Amino acid sequence: MTTLIDRYVLTVLRRVPEPQRTDIDRELRTSIEDAVEARVAGGSPPEAAVEQTLLELGDPDRLADGYADRRQYLIGPEFFDVWRRLLTLLLSTVLPIVVVVTTTIKLLEDATIGAAIGTAVSTVITVGAHMAFWVTLVFAIMERTGVGRSELRGLPRRDWNLGDLPRYEPRATTISELAAGIAWPVLLIVALILQQFTFTEVPVLNPDNWGFWWPYLIVVLILEALYAVWLFRKQTWDHTVTVVNALLAVLFAAPVVWLLSTDRFFNPEWLSTLDWGSTANPGSWLTGIAIAITLVGSAYDVIDVAIRAERSRRGLPTRVPGTGAEYTNPI
Amino acid sequence: MTMDATLSTHLQELRRGTVVVASLTVLREPGYGYSLLETLSAAGFEVEANTLYPLLRRLESQGLLTSSWNTDEARPRKFYRTTEQGDAIAAALRDEWARLDKAVTDLDTPGSHQ
Repeated sequence: MTTLIDRYVLTVLRRVPEPQRTDIDRELRTSIEDAVEARVAGGSPPEAAVEQTLLELGDPDRLADGYADRRQYLIGPEFFDVWRRLLTLLLSTVLPIVVVVTTTIKLLEDATIGAAIGTAVSTVITVGAHMAFWVTLVFAIMERTGVGRSELRGLPRRDWNLGDLPRYEPRATTISELAAGIAWPVLLIVALILQQFTFTEVPVLNPDNWGFWWPYLIVVLILEALYAVWLFRKQTWDHTVTVVNALLAVLFAAPVVWLLSTDRFFNPEWLSTLDWGSTANPGSWLTGIAIAITLVGSAYDVIDVAIRAERSRRGLPTRVPGTGAEYTNPI
Repeated sequence: MTMDATLSTHLQELRRGTVVVASLTVLREPGYGYSLLETLSAAGFEVEANTLYPLLRRLESQGLLTSSWNTDEARPRKFYRTTEQGDAIAAALRDEWARLDKAVTDLDTPGSHQ
């Protein structure tokens, strides 16, 4: 018959690495017997003495973790905030982009709204779960293999220094804004070229426009990317920026809206393959939506930049993203 | 968190390292797990068996303690003893403890600092 002490010791040993078992078995038993003996000598009945002793030793699994020197956490304090920031970024920024892209492709392929929503939902779940799982796994492995945080920061091992502090002046363009400012036009150019050959059976956009309008839009998009570089190097927001930005917005939006409203934007052959179920004329709906997105997007961009430039010129405080606090330029 | 819970968290943090100093100091004379536990609690250290026993093995693996089985008595016991290295580390820790004690006392004395 196994005693209470046997059961306790065996439960601890189960979770202890094999080579340590014999030793811990003997030592723990002796320690428990010593304690029980002391209690009995103090006048306690033997059974109660055993129970008290074991209760004081507490959860055998925790004791085993102590012996095995196991970490009782997946991601420790050194990596926690990097892990959280990365996961937040992936789930709040990358995941929506992936969802929009896959849903759009799905919509262009067979164009039933129900299937598109299904794709969106399943993409959110599967891609989101993958992101969370793999990121957490990588961090847990780093935690256990002892990769330090300095190695993470950059290839050369260097400590954090004051230059790493972001600047919160309204005039400053951050590196991430520069990256977005270049990536967006480049993505559009790639999409514009690829739609001619892939994505769908027939090109989505009207191939006739390769004569002038599509190359023209590519040039405007390249100018947009150059504008982002220029703004980053200039490091000041003033009325010149407002004007240049507005000019670029008009150069892009005006022809697009004109092409859309004269039915020269989409490929009629592709429009005829659309089937939105009960919607009678999907082409005109799509055109309307595209016009609205172009107009609203351009207007938002023009106004946003104008406000930012004006605030910068007046030396007004800027909001620091994510803090709710404001930062005023020391003049 | 109530005041009591807050206090006990801080006390726990403050005491965390003291068991190591105390054990390394006591085990200059060889001792086994339960005897050390008794000695420490008699000396006023609030230490639980489930933290002390794993701690002894950890100190042994760090080379601060050595151990040997004594099978002379009816109950075989594992005796631990502080190594030279362990003794040196204990001395350094005791010095640090004395320094901190003095520093805290100085801070607590009115007029001794700006």
